[in-house]
Amino acid sequence: MKRFWAVLAMLCMLAASAGALAADYDPVAEFGSDVLNVYNWGEYIDKQVLTDFEKEYKVRVNYSLFSSNEEMYTKLLSGASYDVLVPSDYMIERLIKENKLQPLDREVVNNLDNLAEGVRNLDYDPDNTYSVPYLWQTVGIVYDTTKIDPAEMEEQGWSAFLNPEYSGHVYMYDSERDAFMVALKALGYSANTDDPDELQAAFEWLREMDKAVHPSYVTDEVIDAMANGEKWMALVYSGDAAYILSENEDMGYLAPKEGTNISIDAMVIPANATNPKLANVFIRYILEYDASLRISEEVGYASANAQVLEELSGEDGAYAGNDAYVPRAGYDLDEHYIDIPESLRSQYSSMWIKVKLHE
Amino acid sequence: MKERKSPWSFFSGGYLLLVLLFIYLPIAYVLLFSFNDSKSLTNFTGFSLRWYENMVQDRTMLESIQCTVVVAVIATAVSTVVGTVAAIGLSKARRIIRNIVLEINNLPVMNPDIVTAIGLMLLFISTRIQLSLATLILSHITFCIPYVILTIMPKLRQLDDNVAEAAMDLGATPWQALTRVILPQIYPAILSGALIAFSMSFDDFVISFFTAGVGINNISMYVYSMKRYNPSVNALSTLIVVVVTLILVLVNLIPSIRGRNTKEGDTEG
Amino acid sequence: MKSFFRMSYPYLLWIALFIVAPMIMILLYALTRSGNGLLTFQFTLENFTKFFNDATFMRVLFTSLRIALLTTVFCILIGYPAALFMASLPERKQTTMVLLLTLPMWINMLLKTYAWRGILMNFDLESEARVFIGMVYDFLPYMIIQIHTAIAKMDRDLLTAAYDLGANRWKTFLKVTLPLSVPGIISGITLVFLPAVSSFVIPKLLGGGDYVLIGNLIEIYFLNAGDWNFGSAISLIMALIIIASMWATKKLDRNAQEG
Repeated sequence: MKRFWAVLAMLCMLAASAGALAADYDPVAEFGSDVLNVYNWGEYIDKQVLTDFEKEYKVRVNYSLFSSNEEMYTKLLSGASYDVLVPSDYMIERLIKENKLQPLDREVVNNLDNLAEGVRNLDYDPDNTYSVPYLWQTVGIVYDTTKIDPAEMEEQGWSAFLNPEYSGHVYMYDSERDAFMVALKALGYSANTDDPDELQAAFEWLREMDKAVHPSYVTDEVIDAMANGEKWMALVYSGDAAYILSENEDMGYLAPKEGTNISIDAMVIPANATNPKLANVFIRYILEYDASLRISEEVGYASANAQVLEELSGEDGAYAGNDAYVPRAGYDLDEHYIDIPESLRSQYSSMWIKVKLHE
Repeated sequence: MKERKSPWSFFSGGYLLLVLLFIYLPIAYVLLFSFNDSKSLTNFTGFSLRWYENMVQDRTMLESIQCTVVVAVIATAVSTVVGTVAAIGLSKARRIIRNIVLEINNLPVMNPDIVTAIGLMLLFISTRIQLSLATLILSHITFCIPYVILTIMPKLRQLDDNVAEAAMDLGATPWQALTRVILPQIYPAILSGALIAFSMSFDDFVISFFTAGVGINNISMYVYSMKRYNPSVNALSTLIVVVVTLILVLVNLIPSIRGRNTKEGDTEG
Repeated sequence: MKSFFRMSYPYLLWIALFIVAPMIMILLYALTRSGNGLLTFQFTLENFTKFFNDATFMRVLFTSLRIALLTTVFCILIGYPAALFMASLPERKQTTMVLLLTLPMWINMLLKTYAWRGILMNFDLESEARVFIGMVYDFLPYMIIQIHTAIAKMDRDLLTAAYDLGANRWKTFLKVTLPLSVPGIISGITLVFLPAVSSFVIPKLLGGGDYVLIGNLIEIYFLNAGDWNFGSAISLIMALIIIASMWATKKLDRNAQEG
């Protein structure tokens, strides 16, 4: 009998200590629902982070995937209700404009001090009223240092895409906005211009590029191709470049001197979210050191968490000595994309098709 | 009718083998690279099971296969029944009606997926139906039926109308004429139609993306959204191939074992 | 026999709801002015004039039609003998063959195309050759299955009778098998040509980005540009041109059946 009481006492103590962690904790009572619907880019997280979050808060994360901002935006038009989205800067600007987001609860999301210098005070949401940066990157050139001398590459900048010596050895990313950014920056204009003359000049520049280097227009298959060294140079996002560089030591990365696009993917809560309380908790959780570290290490894109960014690029970090991992920050000529009207987007599409058709 | 092993049958057998080789070459490649040690899809760097481990830990991926199978099975079942019934009905319709309906039937086959997808999404929005698993299944049924009809129609057109009519003249009810005369004749076409419908549903991305509810992902949505190639999908595909092959072997073995037990089958040539 | 037609009523209701109604909305978009995802009722024909005023769009459409046509022809040339040989196998083996042909269709198309990319990298091929290998690969099973379905279980008695009457294999083929397989070929053409016109992922991945195709164009306008109006117009123009060309094929079918 003595033994029985001892065991019972121990069980009570165990229960009490567990209770101290979560006394009467019930996610449904706390948040209204124990399900969180997250909508993020494919291959853009460490799955363990989700599992850990679920365990810690006794909730279930429904994780869905998209492959472009536009795809996600179109899906939102159907009225689908997600709790957390991870769109890019210009798309966040559009969502704010259209009243499709709700302000964050800053009492819950109280760790914004974790943010790295490069992702503070962003034009589209300067006070982080609606968004908290997730990962960020620049657009740049990955090139084979055994084929193109780094000094020569740096000297050329974007005009390397006009160098006929590289003809047949170039990948161009098949995205009208990025392609026009390259041309506009090379010409010294803003990547966000709507001046018809400047756009026409950029169009001419891209046609010249098409004639000069006969690029292959590719999308994400460029990552594997450059990791295998199939061509000499390619337009790539720095996060993907970080992966390429870690796979193939011959490859180098350049953010050209004429300036480039810095893009930020950030977490937001849609206006029609069903579980905004839990969404705020999730956002805080992701911005913490542990989750940020796992995500950035797995994905290769720069972390929004300053400490993680420093650590991963530091001496013992997973991306030590990797030129592509940390995006160039504070460079005057670099720009974020702003949201452009549909008529301009349609114009981009028409012109880009003509470039690809060699017209 | 016993076939003699003539040079002709060697030739035809060889030809079929070549076609199968062509069709299975990339499948073999997908299988091989599911065991690759690195993320590369072009360089085989060494044998490893890491993508299988990765797959088992990836809940989103495992749930996506569950969703894919459930949707494909329901969509195939419904579209095969509706499609077969419709095809039989249409084959007896006036030519002008049949032609118009078949032309409409072709629309989902001809339209780019994005047009079908946006069209259906608009339909659901305007009728205030929330996207869900049900809307996903409805959409799949919609684009599967045309394939079933297209597969069954040619067989129906070969059918001799007179046979069914004769049966009815001899006192068979229309239902008997249907089940005893027509269905047995077009049975292989129904099977082919169902298989094609299943494949279409299994592999669809764009329409699924825009008609599925929140949190519902199928395999294609997983694969197409990959920013960077994840060879776990190769592991997943290998799993599918193995499971389906096992099922096929079982389905083929059971009748032949049973056949041996009862009487020597005369189907083996 | 008219009573059988009633069997298709459920389906007629289905297509009215899920095919015709969405297409009417697409038509409305094509005939109205843009409003990012919103339907406005400012009618206009400018989406159509934009298409026909710019030779680029027509060129893209014709490239797509050419690739689809050649893919269909290759599929018939390779698929017809395969279907014919399959039909001469014992019945159980035929079923197995059909299953063997469909199994690869369950593996994601993107994965298989990536695999082709890896395989073809080892060969020095023109980008056009790579594109056709990929396209024919993707569509061949449909063609084989359609033709096979039409000639399978075709009266073996008919063939035996033809042999008995002294017809040789070639003559039997021409007089018996070929005419019976025509509906299957037509079905195969429908299942290959129609989707092939608007498919673009395979040419894009295997052709080294050298191909801008109509399906790609439509998707770009729907998604990237968010211009549903112009996207709808392009898809309608494409549909009309295809329907016109299919009518021509149907005429051939009718002639073949009557002749």
